[in-house]
Amino acid sequence: MPPPPPRVLARAHWPESADDGLPPLAGFTASTFNPLVAEAAERCLRAHYGPAPGPGPSRTALLLTSGSGDRATAAAIDAAAASPQRVPPLLFFQSNPNAVLGHLAARWQLTGPVLATSPTTPAAPGEVPADALELAELLLADGDADQVLLIAAEQADRTAGPDRTDRAVALLLTLG
Amino acid sequence: MTGVTVPVARPVVTGLGVLSACGHGLEPLTQATAHGTAAFAAVTRFDVTGRRVRRAALLPDAPPLAEAVLTAIGDACRQAAHDTWTTRPGAADDSAAPLLLALHSDLGTAGVAARIADGARRQWGIPAVTRVYTGACVAAGTAVADAAALIASGRHARVLVAAGHLVAAGVYAAFDAGRALARDGEVRPFSAGRSGTLLGDAAVAVVLESEAEAERRGAPVLARISGWGRSGDAYHVCRPVPDGAGLARAIASALQRGGVAPDQVGYVNANATGSPLADQAEANALRRVFGDHADRLPVSSTKGVHGHALEASALLELAVTIAALRSGTLPVNAGWTSRDEDCRLDLVLDRPRPTRPRYALTVNSAFGGANTALLVAA
Repeated sequence: MPPPPPRVLARAHWPESADDGLPPLAGFTASTFNPLVAEAAERCLRAHYGPAPGPGPSRTALLLTSGSGDRATAAAIDAAAASPQRVPPLLFFQSNPNAVLGHLAARWQLTGPVLATSPTTPAAPGEVPADALELAELLLADGDADQVLLIAAEQADRTAGPDRTDRAVALLLTLG
Repeated sequence: MTGVTVPVARPVVTGLGVLSACGHGLEPLTQATAHGTAAFAAVTRFDVTGRRVRRAALLPDAPPLAEAVLTAIGDACRQAAHDTWTTRPGAADDSAAPLLLALHSDLGTAGVAARIADGARRQWGIPAVTRVYTGACVAAGTAVADAAALIASGRHARVLVAAGHLVAAGVYAAFDAGRALARDGEVRPFSAGRSGTLLGDAAVAVVLESEAEAERRGAPVLARISGWGRSGDAYHVCRPVPDGAGLARAIASALQRGGVAPDQVGYVNANATGSPLADQAEANALRRVFGDHADRLPVSSTKGVHGHALEASALLELAVTIAALRSGTLPVNAGWTSRDEDCRLDLVLDRPRPTRPRYALTVNSAFGGANTALLVAA
């Protein structure tokens, strides 16, 4: 018998409205991607735990899934590398999708596995890819985590038009 | 670790393909790592004028990344005697067996994954790329752990894991700007005076399957994945927790899954990148897990030979670990010059160490405090 689907403990979105703001994230520049991931995750964790740092260390895995990845940081690095200018040092660590997860893990004392993936079948805007839910279920069943904070984040391709909107959804999951 | 489920199948490796700066295939990698023959040279692939450091371990005449990964996939499938990935008469019904990829996340990731998916489908009948792991230096280690979990839980009888990283101008420039590259042009894991890492090329693929499926097919078993563990430090955006507690939990999880006591482990292929902080944290993690056994537990990082292959590094180092178990020769911790009292380990120095451990560990850590450990048995 297949295992039951994970149970959703909390859910959050960004944006929640047309004028929803995205708070800056200290140490991350030049891109909305990491603030987007952090804000969706913070809203989800606050909905379940209240203010950070929550109740104390928990074996919560962090799983970031994104088809777009951090387009703006990648473009900034490519542009800098192709020119005589030096790459801004802050872009070094923020080009790594794990970095913002490390920020969240430290702030909320989440000691489970840290994963970043890109789905090959995209989800509808604001939804979670089915593949990421399957991976979250595998992580829970396999025993390295009691909960999974799953963040699906897509950064808009602004070269395709100025009115595109970033979107993220975060789910806090446990075994069903 | 809690809540360990009883595995219904044991994952084994039946095919392995690898391209690295040491050459095409496992043998040149085995020889270079055994003897500590570093593969670093001046970077000529792209313009490094203005970079502080100008060396890396590069595949000569490297093909495009997707082609390199497809070559490794082909080698792995041929060795595993998988003429086609689709279901064969009498085989387990597993025509949707996953292909897990590990690649760097950038503007080209989706295109590379699509080209690999297309080639794998046309050449080997592999239906699709299941997902791409982009979690930096633990990407491939996480993929192997997940593949092992898929097999051990009975969800799939076979999983193909592949990873690729070819040193490119953007990532190189970012590492240089972050002062992560070794100023003296050598990677010196665990050594006094270490100053950073150097990047390296790798394309690697492994076929994992259940032991029962391998036996049924009569496929030779190259190694067993006896245990696996994943954990997070919950400490910092990019620095490892100094006491190594996070990595220690990943290792403990792998040992518990394998039912293996710390003193049964006879070799550790370390993550050590030549980073002053991270190597010390890793040494502390090994001390936490192995205690006094660490005094006589051979350890080496082979990044001083093949460089840091980022998203592909864990799969490259799994290949090195399997080669060490099969050859009975533990590879040298190349680049080491003198003892760092904060990294007191039984490092394999100067010459390869002949021994045939039953179990070996290969561990990796990444930004965000991510850690993976794979327990490998001969």
